[in-house]
Amino acid sequence: MSLDTHGTHGTDEAREVAVMESPSVVAAKGEPRRFRPGSRRRDGSGAGREQDTVPYALRGTRRGKVLRGVLLGVVALATIFPFYAMVVLSLKPSGAVEFPGSLLPWNLTTSAYSDVLGSQDVPQWLINTLIYSIVGVLGTLLLSALAGYAFAKKRFPGREAMFWSFLSMVMVPYHVTMIPTFVLIAKMNGVDTYWGLILPSLANAQAVFLMRQFIQGLPDELFEAAKIDGASEFQIFVRIVLPLIKPIMATLGTFVFLWHWNDFLWPLIVGQSTDMRTLTVGIASLQQQNVPLNVVLAGSVVAFVPIFMAYLVGQRYVTEGVAATGIKG
Amino acid sequence: MAAVAEQPRRLRRRGPHARREARIGLLFVLPAFVLFVLFRFGPSIAGVLLGFTDYSLMDSPTFTGLDNFTRLWDDPVFWSSLKVTVLYTVITVPGTIVAAMGLALLTRRAFRGSKLFRSIFFLPVVTSLVLASTVFIWIFSTDGPWSTVMGWVGGHTGSWLADDVFVVPALAIVGIWSRFGYGMLILLASLQNVPRELEEAALTDGAGPWQRFRHIILPSLKPALFFLAVIETTASFQVFDAVYVMTGGGPANASYTLVFQLYDAGFKYFDLGYASAIGLALFVLTLIVAVIQRLVIGKEK
Repeated sequence: MSLDTHGTHGTDEAREVAVMESPSVVAAKGEPRRFRPGSRRRDGSGAGREQDTVPYALRGTRRGKVLRGVLLGVVALATIFPFYAMVVLSLKPSGAVEFPGSLLPWNLTTSAYSDVLGSQDVPQWLINTLIYSIVGVLGTLLLSALAGYAFAKKRFPGREAMFWSFLSMVMVPYHVTMIPTFVLIAKMNGVDTYWGLILPSLANAQAVFLMRQFIQGLPDELFEAAKIDGASEFQIFVRIVLPLIKPIMATLGTFVFLWHWNDFLWPLIVGQSTDMRTLTVGIASLQQQNVPLNVVLAGSVVAFVPIFMAYLVGQRYVTEGVAATGIKG
Repeated sequence: MAAVAEQPRRLRRRGPHARREARIGLLFVLPAFVLFVLFRFGPSIAGVLLGFTDYSLMDSPTFTGLDNFTRLWDDPVFWSSLKVTVLYTVITVPGTIVAAMGLALLTRRAFRGSKLFRSIFFLPVVTSLVLASTVFIWIFSTDGPWSTVMGWVGGHTGSWLADDVFVVPALAIVGIWSRFGYGMLILLASLQNVPRELEEAALTDGAGPWQRFRHIILPSLKPALFFLAVIETTASFQVFDAVYVMTGGGPANASYTLVFQLYDAGFKYFDLGYASAIGLALFVLTLIVAVIQRLVIGKEK
């Protein structure tokens, strides 16, 4: 019954060190949920190990358990319902959709999908979204790993000032910087280009902050030893730092992927031609053009499947990341 | 640990070694820092400055002092979008936090299926609101499930999205749906801080579930609740995606929010100075609300 929800992976050891080391910086920011020493359990909830130690009386009565099951079941159904409706309606022939008849999985057809995938636009939007997301993830991970390592383990003039200027920017809402960023990109002729879309999204202060936090927890001796063995800085970074930060890269990578994939406002204002739209922008435009419901929903499903798969694969990182750092999906 | 780590560094602080280290450090930070100055730091300052200018991308900005802000003050559209935004926030934030709290308490202890429930509740958080909105349009349509269910319970039938009174609550429901899972995870993590001994002691003393919640669990959750309240308020103040897709600000501006106005001013009319002023107003409002929340939640202690 007690599943191995608290078992620790080898790779997570280093992460735990980081988690233990760094609550103070975070507390200073007034966001006490980040990197709390206690958040060491796999899913951030402490489930599993706890079960054995909870006194019987706190576990609840039988009637309480049934009630809990019913309540959770109802909310879970309500939560899933839009996803179910999205998929079923996308598989219906176009025409009237009325409740509840149209929700039954009968009379299904994939015509909406062949419309969507056979169209000129949607495959192009899918490619754009993939480029935006993948380059976004790789770029953000590389830049934040380099900067995070330097902030955590190197001494150089201006280190503190730079780091705090990074941090302070987390507070400034996106909408204040969005317009000047657009003006800058427009002046650099970056409107309707991939680089104009991607480059500003790589300036991710939160990613640098998380990387620094994590790397600070890695023992200095590892780097010292490599240096004594004659490794160059580049070799140290590639051979020692990168393998050690895999856990935080997985967490951060999953989040950055989701942020990019779901991003809407920036792609909306930068990608002005039809060819430069991302899926979210494209589907919003379909919605406004009297495209039949089943086709719009088929587009939504196409855009949703990768998110769903990323969530299935990276779920552990997502839930852990939220619980330990408070980063938002 | 930190102190121990510092020591060997201090010893070799000056000298060629240290200088090389500094060079490497700067080199590693440089790419991120350049992007950061270009696309965050610079634009933050520019965003504030632009708020005091008249600028349309074609010609250079002209300084107009407080003009944008007096114009904002006299603009009925601003007050209406502020009202819509506040109404949306007032429904969404408590709704999200209450739902998150309830589900966190229910899934707090492991039981068979508890992980599955948590995964389901978190799924909307990772889903793009634009995508979800396409199906919510149908859910809230005249023949859709929502008005049918409302018919059964005697609520307002007909499309909520087409009704100027019910459009904001409808959007708020979508907002709550998309975010309660996040709050649930934050609270679940925080529930581990609740001292077990206290709960057991209270139980022995015959404290009921409500008393245990009120006097033992709630106080330990305060920091997490404050964090959530600020995060959720900020997010709600910036609501845009769902509005853009589901209502376009309508009917008759009944769901026209602040960020929608900012978007229109900036990218429909290219009135970039005015749009920046709206952005600043949004920032200041968010700060004020955060301070109030701090006072309210922090005070009780």
